[in-house]
Amino acid sequence: MALNLTLGALISLVCGLDRVAMLQIMISRPIVAAPLTALVLGEPMVGLQIGMMVELLWLARLPVGAAVPPDDTQVAVGATALAVILGHSLHTSGIELLLLCLMVAIPLGKVGQYFERMARQSNGRLARRVDVALRKGALFLAEVQHLRGLVNFSLAAVGTYLLIMVGGLLTIPPVWPLVEQSLSYSSGWVQLALPLVGIAVILGTINVSRAITLFCASFCMAFLLMWLVQK
Amino acid sequence: MRLSRLTRLHIWFRLLLIQASWSFERIQGIGFFYALLPGLRKLYRGDKLVEVSRKYDGYFNTHVYLAPLVVGAVLKLEEERAAGAADADTDSLINDFKEIVAAPYAAIGDALFWGGLRPLAAGIALFFAVKGIIWAPLVFLVLYNIVPIWFRTVFYVRGYRQGINSVEFIQRHRLPDWAIHTKEAAVVVLGGLAAFLVFSQFPHHQLPSWMGLLTLIPMVLLSLVARKEVSTLLLVFIVVTTMLLLGIFWVDMFDLLASWGIA
Repeated sequence: MALNLTLGALISLVCGLDRVAMLQIMISRPIVAAPLTALVLGEPMVGLQIGMMVELLWLARLPVGAAVPPDDTQVAVGATALAVILGHSLHTSGIELLLLCLMVAIPLGKVGQYFERMARQSNGRLARRVDVALRKGALFLAEVQHLRGLVNFSLAAVGTYLLIMVGGLLTIPPVWPLVEQSLSYSSGWVQLALPLVGIAVILGTINVSRAITLFCASFCMAFLLMWLVQK
Repeated sequence: MRLSRLTRLHIWFRLLLIQASWSFERIQGIGFFYALLPGLRKLYRGDKLVEVSRKYDGYFNTHVYLAPLVVGAVLKLEEERAAGAADADTDSLINDFKEIVAAPYAAIGDALFWGGLRPLAAGIALFFAVKGIIWAPLVFLVLYNIVPIWFRTVFYVRGYRQGINSVEFIQRHRLPDWAIHTKEAAVVVLGGLAAFLVFSQFPHHQLPSWMGLLTLIPMVLLSLVARKEVSTLLLVFIVVTTMLLLGIFWVDMFDLLASWGIA
């Protein structure tokens, strides 16, 4: 378990930095971060299922200006790591455990917003140190202050990941026997509902003329085509 | 003095870290200074280097994929200043250029990438993910990153070659129109994806597939609620709790009806 936790923390660090601090090549997106985590932990399909459910949830929350979106990266990585680790310890591998891990990770991941906000506020102090360094003519020192921002963002990413892992490892094992049966009745519907909620939120917030009309037309046409092909 | 290709490449790589010290006060300001510094070191020395460097640690905010264009243009202006070709108003010219283009480029980038390309690429990749194809993340990464890599490289070179005139390059490409088209494409893809998800799922529950069309109703209602800026977390909580309770209720109801000999 310690090895899996450490590997998950490394993935959370790298993917977390991609969100804001460096690269921005979208390895921080849940559809990439979750399968990557699961691949490293030895169960890639678990990550694909979780990434699929989380990818669209907060896609409509754009990182514009000073806005800090919820940390869907750490939700994806944390939920995946929880599902793999607890799958081994609880000797189960169904979609029900995945969903429970996700339901625990999502609200805890919301807390990640505050960690990221703290990192950005901490970077404000770095900016003042850059000013002092430049007044003294110490350019190299000024450069180092900029790179120290990576440390703040790393701490925010790993902090959120650890919060999700600790919260999940403490709550899921005792709760699992109580909810396993109930989850089995509706797991398929919940698995369908999460991406559809994300799509609905994107539809409601995307700035496109007649978006709902366009969406409904596309939905009905695709549905009809699939039904005809099936016949 | 013209900056060497190696120096410009060094600056390009530093641009990948422009947001490392993102803060609410300066946004990308320190990152802008950090990226530009290798070029300034080649152009200036001693007190002049420090004096020019201090001009670049203030507030700056634009889209991360369009920042290379601005940095390239500023490098060109600094080259001209260092060569003595610029006039006494170069400081205000550079500041005005940065201030004038930063916000429009940010708006264009946000609409095109975060609002359009990202959901479009995600929607297409999710088709593969639903089918259980493990390469779905690679599909997303390739589909998405082609455009940003082009922006970061080609626009950087253009900014360096054309300086302030690089604004015409942006205007010629009509990026705001592309942003709208990309968003429309994203809506169409998401419509198809929603249909695919529903059509794939309904047969597992022994329900006729035509009933999947009815899922449009709650989706449209949810989208209207989302327009009122209701939290996604709250919507997820309500939907998941409703489904869990309905699932339990449905099983109990079914057992009850079976005990009465009805089902």
